[in-house]
Amino acid sequence: MGMRHIGYATRTIPKFLDPLPGGAKLVDAIEFVVAWARANSLWPLIYGTACCAMEMMSTGSSRHDWARFGVEVARATPRQADLIVLAGTIVEKMGSRLVTLYEQMPGPKYVIAMGSCAISGGPFYYDSYSVIKGGDRLIPVDVYIPGCPPRPEALLYGIMQLQEKIRTEGRRNPWKIGTLNQAPFGDPLAEAKKMWADLEKSRPAAPPAAADAAGGNGAIDRPKPKRPATEQFAEVARSPLPAPLLDNGTIYAYIIENFPEITLTRQSEQTVEQVRALGQEYLLDLTVPLRRYVELVGFLKDSELLDMNFLLHVTAVDRPDRFEVLAHLFSANQGHNILIRCALDRQQPEIPSLSPLFAGAIWHEREVFDLFGIRFSNHPDLRRLFLEDNFPGHPLRKDFDDPSRVVRRPY
Amino acid sequence: MTEQQAGLADDILENGVAMTVPPGFSIDRRERHTDEYFLNMGPQHPSTHGVLRLMLRMDGENVLEVVPHLGYIHRGLEKIGENQTYLQNIHLTDRLDYLSSHMNNLALCLAIEKAMGIGVPERAEYIRVMVCELQRIQSHLLWWGVLGMDLGAITSFLYGFKEREMITDIFEEMCGARLTMNFFRPGGSFADVPDTFIPRVRAVIEKMKTAIDEYDTLLTNNVIMHLRTKGIGVLPAKTALAHGCSGPVLRGSGVALDVRRSDPYSIYHRFSFDIPVGTVGDCFDRYKVRMEEMRQSLRILEAAAASFPGGPYRSKKYASYNLPAGSYYSQVETARGLLGVYIEADGGPKPHRIKYRSPSFANLSALNDLAVGHKLADLVPIIATLDVLIPDIDR
Repeated sequence: MGMRHIGYATRTIPKFLDPLPGGAKLVDAIEFVVAWARANSLWPLIYGTACCAMEMMSTGSSRHDWARFGVEVARATPRQADLIVLAGTIVEKMGSRLVTLYEQMPGPKYVIAMGSCAISGGPFYYDSYSVIKGGDRLIPVDVYIPGCPPRPEALLYGIMQLQEKIRTEGRRNPWKIGTLNQAPFGDPLAEAKKMWADLEKSRPAAPPAAADAAGGNGAIDRPKPKRPATEQFAEVARSPLPAPLLDNGTIYAYIIENFPEITLTRQSEQTVEQVRALGQEYLLDLTVPLRRYVELVGFLKDSELLDMNFLLHVTAVDRPDRFEVLAHLFSANQGHNILIRCALDRQQPEIPSLSPLFAGAIWHEREVFDLFGIRFSNHPDLRRLFLEDNFPGHPLRKDFDDPSRVVRRPY
Repeated sequence: MTEQQAGLADDILENGVAMTVPPGFSIDRRERHTDEYFLNMGPQHPSTHGVLRLMLRMDGENVLEVVPHLGYIHRGLEKIGENQTYLQNIHLTDRLDYLSSHMNNLALCLAIEKAMGIGVPERAEYIRVMVCELQRIQSHLLWWGVLGMDLGAITSFLYGFKEREMITDIFEEMCGARLTMNFFRPGGSFADVPDTFIPRVRAVIEKMKTAIDEYDTLLTNNVIMHLRTKGIGVLPAKTALAHGCSGPVLRGSGVALDVRRSDPYSIYHRFSFDIPVGTVGDCFDRYKVRMEEMRQSLRILEAAAASFPGGPYRSKKYASYNLPAGSYYSQVETARGLLGVYIEADGGPKPHRIKYRSPSFANLSALNDLAVGHKLADLVPIIATLDVLIPDIDR
């Protein structure tokens, strides 16, 4: 509502003033003053999602102090904001919120894309199924600041560039949002290759060899580029760390005494001595049949000797013929950890939940359900954790492919 | 009809109020004749430290239940990591918990070293310990500053950042980056520390010793601080362990779990330091644990600076790091708690599966237990003293 009125005023007032004698100059003068004022009091909306937000905070704090440039009243609300600094990666789930924030800002409004992620997706451009490849797919961006993350000085320079832009352009219509988010993915590598090929074509032909022989301009004794010698380092033996109270052999012996069907993953030998010989750095990796999975975890938790009272994580691995669910337990008092592995059918993967034993398992299992599509029976709240409910497929499966989201790494 | 529309059709209205509740709450239907309501907080919110979204079930100003919604910065690091070599994965770990990026790098490097049997020279070990402890202080300084700001005291933000920049300068001189370091490599680091490293560290130690006392007078002994944190968000040790909380959150509840001590890595076993623990497990205990941790880190730094050795800064470089088939795990104590890196290798240059067990993820999962029964305003110090970092949770 309000926006339309401002737009109406700025469109119509010059229409009346311009024809009057000296009117255009008056409009120009007013515009100059307005642009000057606008440029020197940019109030930012804090939109920090990731690492760049820290550098934005640094810019706002003691040493760099962006208030010197009129950037003040940094708030997390769009109400009084003129400027939104996109500090950090924008993912699909956040995308719609960003557009809402931008639309809620009163005009005129400006956008700075800070850092590689907000420019193009940055280090997450390839292979990511959730990152939006640049803030300008959602909202129009005025200034791009490269860096990962950009230094505070770079952000200050970007702000100065924006101020310059505001001063020179005067006023503009900032409420036009194009259909940028429908733009197809570019192929920067192919474009760069084409550009290089064009450059090669346009390069002037090499001077004839005769000119060199005649001692002309071609015969310059160019110095060979010097590269620093690669440093060589000697191999170093691993220094031993203090041994935990229980060694792997003792733990293994104690477990197979109670669960004889357990096997060591990827090891052909299965005796206690052989496990002990693998050393302390070997991660005790046990495969358990599905029917005894929860029982084993409960046993490890309650056992007085092993005292595995800490669930590190529950995760899964995708194998061509099966899923493997891994539960990783740790003894907070004694410092040893055990990995428990349980193979599942790939068609109908389902496994009992560990949430009755560890409250922390609830979120870990929701994550596995979200990213692998493995169901957990008697889980209290089995919903997706990270992705939207309507996200197609389960991205951490090896056969996941979604060309509308994922740009494959070309090398 | 889409799923959402179907949901709306089922949403039975009574006196103009929907009786169904948003997903994730422990109740199925809203109770009749109550003033309960649901409140959305985030993902764009100044006190959620990033893009955390909370759905709250409220009765007046009292919080009855909290349901966190994650994924607003879920970038799929683990999927990206599967398509990159082990060394290329190091720079991705920077972006997990960017305030502990050195420690994240270290966790991955330790796993690679374990798998390939790579040893680390003495000087490199010292560099690792010192750099990690510097970063722990740096991270806690930022936390301290932001905590003050969350409680309405902007001064602490400016003070915290002042000393933080001193440490940032050391990192910048050392590896060129201020935040995402990408400094450690299997067997050491990619470059040696400059000659100015030790003098600068000594300067930081000197400065910080007086600075922490200054912080105490500024914020710790402030009566508003006490009123807003004492008895707020009590986390019993049993609940904390069940949720897998770690770091200062768990230690604030009185469990002395510190990976540096209980599962030592690098050369932490050679240094003497205390593990501060709380007694009650409230916000103030977590606060005091972190303040004391800064002092302990200074102790480690002082001892390390006194015996900083010469020699090579890394061991032999390999043309490629192909981990033999197997499963490898390493864990470190970051500023937020226990960070684990689990790698499932199949012998190639890239991992078959790489999993980061991040501390903030587990710490945040206990939020509902902490916040229930408190006022909405108390949720802010609770989140601030959990010190969660959302990219670390979402990965």
